[in-house]
Amino acid sequence: MTTSVLRDPTAEKAGSKRQRLDPPADLTNKVVALMDIGKMRGDEFIDRLEELFSERNISTKRYKKPTNTRTAPAELIQKIVQETDLVVIALSDCGSCTSCSTHDLNDLDHLGMPGVSILTEEFRAAFAGQCEKIGFDGASVFTPHPMQNKTTEELHAFADEVVDELLAKITANN
Amino acid sequence: MASQDASSELLLFLKQDCETCQLVQPLVSELMKDGVRIQVYVQDAPDYYRELSPVDDTSLEASFNWNIETTPTLIKSSDNGQSIRIEGWDKSGWQGVLGSENLGADLPDFRPGCGSKSREPGVYENLVASYGEPGIEALKIEVGKWEDEIETCYDRGWTDGLPVTPPTDARILKMLQGTNRKPDEIIGRVPPNLVPITVEKAAINAVLAGCKPEYLPIVLAALEAALDPVFTMHGLLCTTCFSSPVIVVNGPIAKSIGMNWGMNALGQGNRANATIGRALQLIIRNVGGGIPGDLDRSTLGGPGKFTFCFAEDETDPSWQPLSVSRGFEPGENTVTLFQGDGIQGFIDQRSQTPEEITKSLASSLLAVGHPKLAEFTNAMLILSPEHYEIYKKEGWDRNKITEALHHEMQRPGAELIQGANGIGEGIDKSRLDETVNKFWPEGLLIVRAGGKAGLFSAICAGWTGGRFRHESTPVTKRISL
Repeated sequence: MTTSVLRDPTAEKAGSKRQRLDPPADLTNKVVALMDIGKMRGDEFIDRLEELFSERNISTKRYKKPTNTRTAPAELIQKIVQETDLVVIALSDCGSCTSCSTHDLNDLDHLGMPGVSILTEEFRAAFAGQCEKIGFDGASVFTPHPMQNKTTEELHAFADEVVDELLAKITANN
Repeated sequence: MASQDASSELLLFLKQDCETCQLVQPLVSELMKDGVRIQVYVQDAPDYYRELSPVDDTSLEASFNWNIETTPTLIKSSDNGQSIRIEGWDKSGWQGVLGSENLGADLPDFRPGCGSKSREPGVYENLVASYGEPGIEALKIEVGKWEDEIETCYDRGWTDGLPVTPPTDARILKMLQGTNRKPDEIIGRVPPNLVPITVEKAAINAVLAGCKPEYLPIVLAALEAALDPVFTMHGLLCTTCFSSPVIVVNGPIAKSIGMNWGMNALGQGNRANATIGRALQLIIRNVGGGIPGDLDRSTLGGPGKFTFCFAEDETDPSWQPLSVSRGFEPGENTVTLFQGDGIQGFIDQRSQTPEEITKSLASSLLAVGHPKLAEFTNAMLILSPEHYEIYKKEGWDRNKITEALHHEMQRPGAELIQGANGIGEGIDKSRLDETVNKFWPEGLLIVRAGGKAGLFSAICAGWTGGRFRHESTPVTKRISL
């Protein structure tokens, strides 16, 4: 028996996840965008990733968001889409970084750019939660947390540890 | 002799609490004795009119369905769908409807009626919800007879931990009366899930928060400010920091809805202060998906994440309101949203001159975020009347106070660089030889509020997003009614 009716104050969103785009079989003739989310120290981590990709003869281009606290400006997204083939987004070690960069990953995927987001371990659940809420089966790689109080050498070591997993996730045949 | 054709029906809506209804009662009784069929509906006390064999309409369903605005209302309804409606006592009108020139000869020509109970404040929306088509788009959630509506709200995750007002259709319809904006108007996309929000959805959350309809325009303006990209609500919600939106209301609307800018302005006890801020937070939670521990990743959070909203004291004409300092006209209703933490109390019961109080305030403001950080956050200073009085008596206004504070907060970079004084935190080492400002020139917001007694002001530290000077800023919006 019903005695009253309330109205749903939520977004009323529920549903299935959209699969991420299939990445290419290999990275021959591909350019990988290394997208710095604009958080402090992320550039030091990406410096090392750039070196590691270069050692493997993988072409890269660097991009940087004006702030980690917002999603990427449309102009930046369009530039990345025009100039590269895949995207690696790094390095999210906070809540706003995680949510905004997950939207960026989704937006780029919608525009035909397969990608991977790199986050610190502490934000594994937040990444999964944001993917769930926007219905996107995003790909991720995790580094240790915290990272803000680490030396540059330690941040480079984090990059060394994840590079193989990262390459596996941006190519389809691994 | 009154006449009545067979194809028409006479209806009469009365209530006891209406002198004009009582005036026509003997006449109606007489007509009925003469064989005129009149179906009488009584809105409040059917027994009072029992000799008229009335229908009990205390539910007001018939009054609502017939769209009655006045009692008495006499309706002649015909099979062909045409109807004649006479409101109040209008002798010639009644005579025409009943076909009798002599009807009510001993009564005055005209008496106005009373307002229908179905149109009383708050009643009509309940009747729309019960018997009409409320036109609300949001999903219906049915609550069983033995269920507690407030517990249902908890179970569904709609609350901030405190009880909420269950969002029934009647309450939502009443809330929507608070704005001229259409319920289906989309205001923007709410982070972190970036979901479009309509005026209706905002109104539902305003109901949850406990707002009155007249607060809704402020809630909507605050929401517009929060969704302005440069406010960076996305980052502010998801951040590991303590911060949340701090809402400052300026303009005559603050007084007209009874907001508090005086004693305990930043505290509890005022419905408008408490619920406007709460409504914004509930929108972020319920529509945007900003759930603590999920995408709200605040390390410690802060009490401001329940609500943090107050009005500026504009009663002293020597003080320029915050909104005016931010480019709005005096007397305009505005909200200013600031990305802030909780408050740090500022105590100074010794300073006598503007220069002394400036040095004193500056020394406390330097601690915002971290004493060695600079141009890293904004700050809001809530200046109490007694502290302002020290400036006022020497003719210092907002601009002079702000300028003097910035000047007092300049320091040599050598003291602030990372590692200086044995403290790792600090500004970049490349700024060793610079003279460094604590805040961006526009990054110190001063608001006048608080009780008349007490040499106590408050500092509200800004969020770390403020280090992106042009990417994350406070936002002021005009309130549209």
